[in-house]
Amino acid sequence: MNRLLGVALGILTAIGGFLDAGDLVTNAVVGSRFGLSLAWVVGLGIVGICVFAHMSGKVAAVSGRATFEVIRERLGPRAAGLNLVASLAVTVLTLIAEVGGIALALQLASSVDHRLWVPVAALAVWLVLWRVKFKVMENVTGLLGLTLIGFAVAVFLLGPDWGELAAGLAPSVPANESTTTYWYYAVALFGAAMTPYEVFFFSSGGVEEKWTVRDLATSRLNVLIGFPLGGFLSVAIAACAAIVLLPRGIAVDSMAQLVLPVAQAGGMLLVAVVIVGIAAATFGAALETALSTGYTLAQYLGWSWGKFRRPAHAARFHLSMIVALVVAVAVLATNVDPVAVTEYSVVFSAVALPLTYLPILVVANDPEYMGEHTNGRALNAVGSVYLVVLTVVALAAVPLMIVTRAGS
Amino acid sequence: MTGDTQPSGRILDARLHLLDHQVLDRDDVPVMVVGDLELEDAEPGGPAPYVTSLVTGPVLGARIFGGRAPASRWQRLPWRLVADVGVVIKIAADAESLDLAWVERWVRDQVIARIPGGRHGP
Repeated sequence: MNRLLGVALGILTAIGGFLDAGDLVTNAVVGSRFGLSLAWVVGLGIVGICVFAHMSGKVAAVSGRATFEVIRERLGPRAAGLNLVASLAVTVLTLIAEVGGIALALQLASSVDHRLWVPVAALAVWLVLWRVKFKVMENVTGLLGLTLIGFAVAVFLLGPDWGELAAGLAPSVPANESTTTYWYYAVALFGAAMTPYEVFFFSSGGVEEKWTVRDLATSRLNVLIGFPLGGFLSVAIAACAAIVLLPRGIAVDSMAQLVLPVAQAGGMLLVAVVIVGIAAATFGAALETALSTGYTLAQYLGWSWGKFRRPAHAARFHLSMIVALVVAVAVLATNVDPVAVTEYSVVFSAVALPLTYLPILVVANDPEYMGEHTNGRALNAVGSVYLVVLTVVALAAVPLMIVTRAGS
Repeated sequence: MTGDTQPSGRILDARLHLLDHQVLDRDDVPVMVVGDLELEDAEPGGPAPYVTSLVTGPVLGARIFGGRAPASRWQRLPWRLVADVGVVIKIAADAESLDLAWVERWVRDQVIARIPGGRHGP
């Protein structure tokens, strides 16, 4: 049990990357339109986030420094400031979607309109940020989020033709979709897998848990279990949609359609389990993004931060999270579609990706910080290849979004 | 490039060792990030100048957008408080006691401490 709880940080971080409100829907959209022909992107994303989360966790454990402190130190105030603005935009847009997503999940469970649930959801998120210990927070949301395994169970219950499903894994553009749309979704999935707030949250979480060199194994275990599990579940969601919705030509555009294949496979009981998972995942992602807002601002500007301190001892950190939540509620009050909001975060993600991962690679190679734990050659080789991929994705994201009108 | 006024007069590279580094107080509470340096005896081509204080506040805007922040609005941390320069800069004082912590104090006293539970540990 302790081992399982030890990886809660990795699971919670991965939920924010692979299974937040926007991704839950995007995975189902991708499954219902492209089958599993984009699953390779998730695989690529898992390896990438594992490599860089491992480095950021290592930097946090060995030097006690969180990622955004390192970014400002290495890139200087201008480039780091650009990264801060772009990352904050991604993070706050995602936070808006998550608060809306919790409300949608509660609507699924209660039939009370989601707009009424928004203030309740935001208040609940704030109370956890304000009063709950970091350890308790990550364990509860991480474990409850695991009930999303219901999607994987549903795949088995649906009893698909496994040979056909496996054949669908080959990268290919379906006949009725354009190549640019295919690549737009590829970029969106890759960007979601590697969203910058994951490493900000993961490394700051390591500092919150007071990791030292002795916790390097914990960090590695978190990375190696959390992210692949998150990626596996996101592929399971796509598989459910590919099996049930794709042959019938049903396009997913809301969270309610997400559970249709689950209902067909396992009835109301499995739907109930999955709804618990959706609520926990969106709640966990809301906590992750709200905290990341505070972490990035505080680390760039040198404020006192951390949930391990009393709120009065990290005043500006807590104030910035309150402001972020108020902004989220205000934006949702305009009746905007919470899920559509995340689609635009791809643009900001694109700018932030290289600016986030380059400094991590540089500092993980700095013996003054890392001592004997400096990166090895293999890790550097993989990291460098990914930096090239990230730069290409960053350059391609905005033009693809304009050409495909955000995938429509 | 720069040295300190303490016995050894250690030679430091401003960009590599000081600028944009995190400053922690004696209890490891973050105080500020070094935004700029105030130097003494800085002459082009002359001997290495001394750092008199680490500066934060509006100087950050000046470094990003150019221009100069008025000296009256610089928030200074005197160099004599610096205890160690490493991966982070440690000072031998409490963050609480510094003038430049006034924003944090103001936010705490006016906002955060007034919300129920704000002074209790989580």
